[in-house]
Amino acid sequence: MPADLHVLTEIAVRFGALSLVAIGGINAIVPDIHRVVVDVEGWMTSAQFADLFALAQLAPGPNAMIVALIGWKVAGIVGAVIATIAACGPSSVACYIAWQWSDRLQHSPLRAIVQRALSPLAIGLILASGYTLARGAGRSPGALALTLIATAMLAWTRINPVWVLLAGAAAGLAGLA
Amino acid sequence: MAAHKTVTAPVLPPITRRALFASFLKMGLLGFGGVLPWARRVIVDERRWLDDRDFAELIGLCQVLPGPNVVNLSVIIGARTHGPVGALIAVTGILLVPVALMLLIATGYASVAQDPLTRNAIAGASAAAAGLILGTAVRLLLQTRPPPRGLLTGGAAFIAVGILQWPLLWVIAVLIVVGVAAEWSATPTRR
Repeated sequence: MPADLHVLTEIAVRFGALSLVAIGGINAIVPDIHRVVVDVEGWMTSAQFADLFALAQLAPGPNAMIVALIGWKVAGIVGAVIATIAACGPSSVACYIAWQWSDRLQHSPLRAIVQRALSPLAIGLILASGYTLARGAGRSPGALALTLIATAMLAWTRINPVWVLLAGAAAGLAGLA
Repeated sequence: MAAHKTVTAPVLPPITRRALFASFLKMGLLGFGGVLPWARRVIVDERRWLDDRDFAELIGLCQVLPGPNVVNLSVIIGARTHGPVGALIAVTGILLVPVALMLLIATGYASVAQDPLTRNAIAGASAAAAGLILGTAVRLLLQTRPPPRGLLTGGAAFIAVGILQWPLLWVIAVLIVVGVAAEWSATPTRR
């Protein structure tokens, strides 16, 4: 069906392009994924997006799972597979090439400079992702408090994040979110 | 003059394709709330392919490259042992179970999504999940302690992308140039 093919192509092109700028991982491009999926393509609402993100956190695996879920929501299982390949493929090829280069650039000061410059940038982008999601999820003071508690737990303890998520779900069940 | 830190490509022991696939499959399967702790455990403690120092250096490279850092880690370890095919094996291994499981959960989720209790639970988990990301960023910030110029580019990235919701590509393009220029001018001239 041409309509489906069009959507699948759109998924491949959108995520393929984002893949190459995902410095800091998929979490770093969550705001941009949100912009494309909600504002540009209109595939879902902001609240649906926040729900999918939470769902993605509940399964194991790389944080790229949000991408699989969006593909699934938009175009079923084929959409999920295409979205995952599109989101991980170009960056993996880039990584393969960069790895070959980096062996050659081992002793170049430029490599160290670029690495030092990119590191805080990646942290800022991850922070932006968390902020975007907190804004979507913070529909009540309780939800906001949950976000802040989870932030502190992750930043200052060695707790397994699964327990934080389960505690969040339990608090939600109790009507606190 | 000896460099204070020599970065040499660590030599990996021979790894069979089967072991490569099984190891990365395991990391993907167990990586609830983040694969990195499991990646270290399997690669350093269980399989002893790398020591902690080599692992840390490899992750540093994986983090500055686009893409999920553990997927990049799979690409590099796979490529180092079996070339492009190895990279494909490792990436497939780390993604296979999570994607399959995700779709299974998602399919079930669709049927219960209207249930108010489920919605409440998801709302709570959703708020906590946002905190996981924020907490990870805070943790990285505290561990890497960037200099003021780094805090400026990182802060600018946060404001532009998080608060102003500007398109990522342009923000990164500008801030990479600014960040590299700042690091360049702050780096003492070498011999």
